[in-house]
Amino acid sequence: MTRPSLRALPSKTLLAASLALASAGAFAQTATEADLARRLDQLAAELAAVKAQLAQIQQQRATAANPPAPATPAAPATAAAPPPAAASDNTPATVITSYGEINYNRPTKANQNAQADVRRFVLGYQHRFDAKTKVVTELEVEHAVSSASDSGEVEVEQAYVERQVTPTWALRAGLFLMPAGLLNENHEPTSYYGVERNFVETAIIPSTWREGGLQLVGNFDNGLTVQGGLSTSFDLNKWDATSGEGKESPLGAIHQELSLAKSHDVAVFGAVNWRGVPGLLLGGSLFTGQATQAQAVEKARITLWDLHARWTPGRFDLSALYTRGTISNTAALNAALVGNPTLIPKSFDGYYVQAAYKAWTFEDYALSPFVRWEQFNTAKSYADLGPGLTPDAARAERVITLGANLQVAPGIVVKADYQRFRENTDQNRVNLGLGWSF
Amino acid sequence: MPLSQSFVWVVAAVCAAMLAACGGGGSSASDANVPDDAPLSAQAALGEKIFADVTLSASGRLACASCHSADNAHSPSNGLAAQLGGVLLDQQGRRSAPSTNYLSFNTAFHFASDGTPTGGFFWDGRAASLQEQAAQPFLTSFEMANASVADLIAKLAAASYAEEFRRVFGPDIFSRPDDAMARVTLALQQYQKEDADFRAFSSKYDEFLRDNVALSAAELRGLALFNSPGKGNCAACHPSGKGADGSFPLFTDFSYDNLGVPRNAALARNDDPAYYDLGLCERAELAGRADLCGAFKVPSLRNVAQRHVFFHNGRFSTLKDALTFYAQRDTHPEKWYPLNSDGSVSKFDDLPPQYRANVNTSEAPYDRLPGDAPALSDAEIDDVITFLQTLNDGFRR
Repeated sequence: MTRPSLRALPSKTLLAASLALASAGAFAQTATEADLARRLDQLAAELAAVKAQLAQIQQQRATAANPPAPATPAAPATAAAPPPAAASDNTPATVITSYGEINYNRPTKANQNAQADVRRFVLGYQHRFDAKTKVVTELEVEHAVSSASDSGEVEVEQAYVERQVTPTWALRAGLFLMPAGLLNENHEPTSYYGVERNFVETAIIPSTWREGGLQLVGNFDNGLTVQGGLSTSFDLNKWDATSGEGKESPLGAIHQELSLAKSHDVAVFGAVNWRGVPGLLLGGSLFTGQATQAQAVEKARITLWDLHARWTPGRFDLSALYTRGTISNTAALNAALVGNPTLIPKSFDGYYVQAAYKAWTFEDYALSPFVRWEQFNTAKSYADLGPGLTPDAARAERVITLGANLQVAPGIVVKADYQRFRENTDQNRVNLGLGWSF
Repeated sequence: MPLSQSFVWVVAAVCAAMLAACGGGGSSASDANVPDDAPLSAQAALGEKIFADVTLSASGRLACASCHSADNAHSPSNGLAAQLGGVLLDQQGRRSAPSTNYLSFNTAFHFASDGTPTGGFFWDGRAASLQEQAAQPFLTSFEMANASVADLIAKLAAASYAEEFRRVFGPDIFSRPDDAMARVTLALQQYQKEDADFRAFSSKYDEFLRDNVALSAAELRGLALFNSPGKGNCAACHPSGKGADGSFPLFTDFSYDNLGVPRNAALARNDDPAYYDLGLCERAELAGRADLCGAFKVPSLRNVAQRHVFFHNGRFSTLKDALTFYAQRDTHPEKWYPLNSDGSVSKFDDLPPQYRANVNTSEAPYDRLPGDAPALSDAEIDDVITFLQTLNDGFRR
């Protein structure tokens, strides 16, 4: 379930879900309590389904009583606008959303490179056309200023329409976040530990990773969420062997973000997440698609998969993830690039384990120290190009992050951490961050 | 069938259909800038005739094709440092005549967003287009040496294809010399844009990119050395990879560099010790940019192995010498520059002392000091040359 979907739920459902989650966190220690919490989850899900059916019936009656008006351009919607008649409860038809993060990084061995940055500032809206149909958008500004002479970016991060086709299945179309890993669909600063997003889910899974296409989302009563569909793919023609971008993130260097995206090649993706036991999430994802877009002689397939788990027993928040990507036919693709500093890797992977503990709470305050260990390799192997021409595989980078998130109020977090690198120790750094999300 | 089941089946069927539709396409690589075989337009056909017409020069013996021979990738067929022109064909040019191949991909001169001077035609980029470039040799005293536009157009009116020119551009075109001149240069531009000989993409390397042929071990080694930032670093200015749109590499980024090429005694103008060819900053609009003095255009390396002289002043006459200069300019400067009276090396002697600091000394292979090992060994230079020979158009297996 993505954050936008949560936002759109009626407040009562949110309350029920919150109760369920709180129950999961606080009372999951015994089998009886876990069973109670699971039943509460199921009740909440059934309630949501009944409400959706009710809304559908109401809409059908309203349509019968009032034939559709001729199509007219939609009036600009605002958060303060009254809900349309089709809305099934008091939730506004249009909801403004936002998140942002302001970060400070101070390398311990090169403090002259200390940097403060509005890492990202995001405004979005959801507009619910009726009880079953909504549009979700996010517009993001990175690095505060975007102009011809500044390095900032303005980007549409999400822009999709979702239709709840049945109580179980919804269909999305447009630009959406890919269901991969733990962070990509839940990338707001209040959703993860540490000032910066973890390396595995930025260097290997290129968060925030989005594609254009069609996606089915199924939410089952047993806690299973199934997502899958067809999307645009990467563009290997963009690979710049002369720059280091591909070493930082092989897929981040060739993603298209639906910006005049080459669309000859269509990718298939899917994800399964199971929340059948309160406090526990088990899941995995798979993406595969050709990526030379018929603009190279050679075809090449990119495949990326991950397995992930998150468990929140009591005050603990434990998570782990492994992901691996491969690119086929790189020997042919690299043949003309030999000698360049950044050839296309055959494989890349990474994993992390993370543990957080809610050590102190007072009113809305909540302090959660955490530790994260991650290992990732953006060039784990190269296809053989012959002696003297095949690059050596990169050494895996290992990073340990120690820090804490302090929730100041719901939706506002202050963070501090220290990151220590095993390979490139020049990157060791202290980070401070302020984030919000609503 | 319940609604949810039928919905899932419908979506699955749509997805399957989309995948099936996308599976069989894209049968060929995207040779994005490879020309087709379309016949020349009427303008371009006239341009072809003008290009080869020696009667349009004061000497009656010099045409565009004289210095830009189709048999030699539209560059000179002789080994002169600069070509001869003028009324008596005895006037030496200022600079070596470049190949005009692949120039249809060039742009007008501009400064890129990072300040790098880019584009433009001639060694100093002073012409904004092929058309503008085509006009100048007709009237330059040491080239085709026509006295005026009217003089040139009078010769054109007497050419064997004058009637064709009238037919294309109007019966009264010769009565308006300036307009006729604009049509002459337009025709020359169209010819160079349309005729596939000017952008054949038919080298062994192109066939390698098309996956039709493999490079030999020495050629591959040479390519790796060419690309490697720590070795030849040639690709920094002469990119060798395909573009993001699938376009084939031009082996130039159309930028400018200051290489400190040694003075060439074969140029008569250099007999005057006060004479210097300053390149970019000689242009009136760039006169205030002293940092650009000594910078010349980066040429395409396609067909470079067919050239007889290298660099703007034609200082070197073999690829081996040109590449060895690159590799050893800073490690063995005494091999390339004269000695001062005190025995020191007069490095970068083709520039006035105040501009010698403009010379590129920061990037490989120049980032060396006397006594250091050159970035490329003699054997490695041979490998690079072997690779450069794969850039000759007209490869046949």
